[in-house]
Amino acid sequence: MHEMSIVAGILDAVTQRSGGRRIVRVVVEIGRMTAVLPDALRFGFEVASQGTDAEGATLDIVTLLGNELRVREMEVV
Amino acid sequence: MCATCGCSGEDHAASASSTEGRERTTHPTTHRHERGHDHTEHPRPGAPRVPFDRQRSTIAIERDVLAHNDELARENRRWFVGRKIFALNLLSSPGAGKTTLLERMIRERTGGHAIAVIEGDQATDRDAQRIRGAGAKAVQVNTGAGCHLDAAMVARAAKALDPPADTLLAIENVGNLVCPALFDLGEHAKLVVASVAEGEDKPLKYPHAFRAAEAVLLNKTDLLPHVRYDVDRFVAHVREVNPHADVLLVSATLGDGFVALDRWLRARIVRLGGSA
Repeated sequence: MHEMSIVAGILDAVTQRSGGRRIVRVVVEIGRMTAVLPDALRFGFEVASQGTDAEGATLDIVTLLGNELRVREMEVV
Repeated sequence: MCATCGCSGEDHAASASSTEGRERTTHPTTHRHERGHDHTEHPRPGAPRVPFDRQRSTIAIERDVLAHNDELARENRRWFVGRKIFALNLLSSPGAGKTTLLERMIRERTGGHAIAVIEGDQATDRDAQRIRGAGAKAVQVNTGAGCHLDAAMVARAAKALDPPADTLLAIENVGNLVCPALFDLGEHAKLVVASVAEGEDKPLKYPHAFRAAEAVLLNKTDLLPHVRYDVDRFVAHVREVNPHADVLLVSATLGDGFVALDRWLRARIVRLGGSA
C-alpha cells in the first residue's frame, strides 16, 4: 500500500512547519498520472496523523493532470 | 480552539467551537491552557482582541511529497557513479521471472560485468539464496507490509553489499507493477519484465511502470507454442504507452535472446561512461 509512504511524506512536510500548532486542513495536489488513490490516501492520512499535530485535519485533494505529488498548503490554529 | 485567546487548549475547546467567529459573551475567568501557559484572566471586554488571522492561518508548503525519497535517490546515484556502478531497477508482477533472469545473467556474465543483486521481497530470503547459488553477492531487503523498495532501503542495502567498481548492480524490486514505478531508487535505468504467461494488455493496465521503463523484456518465450499470446499485440501496447522503450524477447530458462540483452546492457553502460 504505497499510499502510506505518500502519507508519511505529507505528514513529514506539514509537521515540520506546524511548530506545535494544530493543523486543521492540508491541501495536496495529486496528478492523474501518479498511481495514487485519493480514498486510500485519505484513509491512510486519518490513521497515520493520529498523535501528530495533524490529527483530525481535513485532507483536501486537488486533482491535476500530470505527475504532480505535492503538498500545497495547510491551515493551522 | 478558544475564541477569546486563540489558544488550542482543550479545556474549553468544545464550548468555544460552537461560538467561533462571533463575539463570546462568557468566558471562564480562570483556566489552564494545554500548551504550557496559564492565565488567571483574559482581557476584559473592550481590550484589544487577538485578530482572527492569529487564530487560523494558512501556511504555504509547496513541497513535493516524495522530496525526501528523491533526495536520497540522488545521493544513491552519486554514490553509484562515484564507484562506477551501473544500477538497474527491475520491475515486474510476481512470477514474471526476474530472479531466473538474474540467475542466467550472473552465470553468463550478461552485460560484460560482475553482477551484484539487491533483492526486494515482502518476506523470506529465498531469492537472495538463489542469487548466491548462481555465484553473485546478494543482500535481501524484506519490506514487510510495504509494496515497494524506496531509496533509503537501497542506500542501506548497497552499503551492506559494498560492490566493487565496474559492477552491474541489479535491484530486484518487490513483485508489483503499481507503486515501484513511483519511487526513484537512484538507478540508472528501469527495466520491466513481462512474460507470455500474462496478458498482452499488461502495458495498458499498468501504464506507469511501462512508461518509466527504458527497456521491456518479454520473458518465457519458450512457452509461446503452448499459450495463446500475441507478441505483436504486446509490442504495440508497449509502444502505445511508451514509444521509446526497447523491447527484447527472452527466455530466462533456455537463454534465448540473451545475446541481444547482452548487447543492450553493454551499449547502455557505455552511454553511461563505463567500459563495455
